[in-house]
Amino acid sequence: MRAMNKGEIRTLTGNAAAAYGTMLCRPDVVALYPITPQSEVIEQLADFHARGLLDAEMVEVEGENSAINVVTSAAMTGGRVFTATSSWGLAFMYDGMLQAAGFRAPVVMVNVNREMPGILAVSSGQQDMTSTRDSGWIQVVAEGCQEILDLVIMAYRLAEDHEIQLPVMVNYDGFYLSYLSEGVHLPSREDVTAFLAPLKEQPPRPMLVPGEPLGCGTHGILEGFVELRYKHSAALERAKAKFDEIDALFQEAFGRSYGGQIEEYCTADAEIVLVVSGSAAGTAKAVADSVNEQGAKVGVVKLRIFRPFPRERLIQALKGKKAIGIIDRSVCFGWGCGPLYMELKSASAKIGKAPMLNFIDGLANTDITKDHIKGMIERAQRAAGGEPFQEVTWVSLEE
Amino acid sequence: MVKAKRLPRVFDYLTDEDPFSGGLTLCPGCPLELLLRFTARVLGRDIVFVGTPSCSATVLYGQNRQSWHKLAYYSCLMTGVASSATGIARYYRKIGKDITVVAFTGDGCSADIGFQPLSGAAERNENFIYITYDNEGYMNTGIQKSSTTPVGAKTSTTPVGQNRRGNPNPGKNVPFLMAMHKIPYTATATLSHLDDLAKKLVKAKEKKNEGLAYIHVYSPCPTGWRFESDMSIAICRLAVQTNYFPLWEAERGQFRFTRKTAKPKPLTDLLELIGKFSHFTDEDLIVLEKEVEERYQLIEGMVQAWPLE
Repeated sequence: MRAMNKGEIRTLTGNAAAAYGTMLCRPDVVALYPITPQSEVIEQLADFHARGLLDAEMVEVEGENSAINVVTSAAMTGGRVFTATSSWGLAFMYDGMLQAAGFRAPVVMVNVNREMPGILAVSSGQQDMTSTRDSGWIQVVAEGCQEILDLVIMAYRLAEDHEIQLPVMVNYDGFYLSYLSEGVHLPSREDVTAFLAPLKEQPPRPMLVPGEPLGCGTHGILEGFVELRYKHSAALERAKAKFDEIDALFQEAFGRSYGGQIEEYCTADAEIVLVVSGSAAGTAKAVADSVNEQGAKVGVVKLRIFRPFPRERLIQALKGKKAIGIIDRSVCFGWGCGPLYMELKSASAKIGKAPMLNFIDGLANTDITKDHIKGMIERAQRAAGGEPFQEVTWVSLEE
Repeated sequence: MVKAKRLPRVFDYLTDEDPFSGGLTLCPGCPLELLLRFTARVLGRDIVFVGTPSCSATVLYGQNRQSWHKLAYYSCLMTGVASSATGIARYYRKIGKDITVVAFTGDGCSADIGFQPLSGAAERNENFIYITYDNEGYMNTGIQKSSTTPVGAKTSTTPVGQNRRGNPNPGKNVPFLMAMHKIPYTATATLSHLDDLAKKLVKAKEKKNEGLAYIHVYSPCPTGWRFESDMSIAICRLAVQTNYFPLWEAERGQFRFTRKTAKPKPLTDLLELIGKFSHFTDEDLIVLEKEVEERYQLIEGMVQAWPLE
């Protein structure tokens, strides 16, 4: 085993961490288009390129729709690619996103989560990510700046794995993480190259070859299409175990591990478990620590992958608990709840009879505060004690 | 012995055998088939076609596992043709491979929904060829108006009735707009002048090393415009002879006519062959004649002010 290298420590914003992670993975083609709160990612990459630290084709496109098409076609030609976006930008590339997934293009894209109900909703929220959950992409979510950097590296390993071959969207909360500065271990270029090297040993992926009668995206109707859909769906299912495996390999190479699909925090003997993703996970863990010191038994499950949905690991972690609180930073319209809650409900038969409480909180930069989390825990504890409970609570409206 | 000198003929430009299968699913008389076969034979095998759902898709796509030609083809959405061509060309540049990427779309894509990425690619001066076959509307979806439909023309979304008389707008002069991006090469071409088209394709292939090369091809649609299927090439020729579709080329903002019509024929010679103008009154004709005249004068003015030597 190679010597572990934690790398030098730098103070980086979440956006800069994403850019450093990308630069270390040496993409061939990068598409750049600004949008708040993501712009710093592409600015940082442009700076790396100008300083000779990033040898890539930099395409300063005229809109996000072009950004996704540039990177998808470059990926289908054989390249390693990167782009970054947020909210409306993600919406503007939706047709291209469906195409990237349908082509099985190993695109890695950062999406800095932001609300999008109105043009001026320049604020955090996961609605952009959850609204694109059926696009066929892999969606992973980071909690802090170090995890952003590490997740970008893992995303390439996942996207380009020949058993997977799917686009990966690396998500993190806009504002809360995009502009937050934290100490980040910066891996060396050599270590990242070594970590990604096994991708080169794989069978070559199908790609455009000039002079060869090979079409990309020409699959039409009937059997060919059905088979393609089936294989796409099966690859997404495989991505779950693959993500766990990559997390273990990452631990071996860099000395950091995040638990793969989900991180379980004090869940082993917990009676109450909160399920949460993104930056609010840190707050939930801190509150769990403080109430556990007072004798409570509260655990936290941090969701690190939203598509594919890590249902087997969640069932395992939540089975036999007395109550489960699910925090959603976006809304599942038409179900009157949050998307994470709705999806966990689908698995509830295997989780058990524990009451499930949904807390919609943190929309549009309303903080998910420690007090909010405490309140959620108390509600869950009362429900666990057999009291009637409210299924869905819009926390900031009840203050 | 002195060898007799002769000008190159059309067949001299063909570098390769026809890569398309015999018998394609296009309407009888559609010049698109000739354009695609000819383009591929002039440009050679080291090309990647990029296209989109359209009439050309019936030639370029194939179906399921069956291919209808021997070329690499990247199909994408109408919004993403110029940007997809960008990604492919950029990756080949990164790895140092000399491949000619050829985006090939109808006017609905280049003039309307795909215009933003096309303009963006021109501004960035990307290294590929973009060919528009202009049949003046959305023909594959059932003859709807696009922004190159001529003023007064009847389409299924600009019908003729009590309240309207065909398309009210003069439309976009897309090749001129592309030339105004000052890209290395812009040209108009049509299927009645194959030697002219061949030279322009050869030039585009050279110029794509400097940046974007754009060719706008007038491609009449027998089904959508309603004319006899043996009249396509005659209509192409008349479009040139009436100055409806002048043949010119531009390099970085400098212009040159590649065919000059000494005595233009009356526009009615062209219009009377085409059903989409059959409702034209004298007033309708005056409006279209004025537009045709103005467009010709615009290029003539450019040739005088910014001549391409």
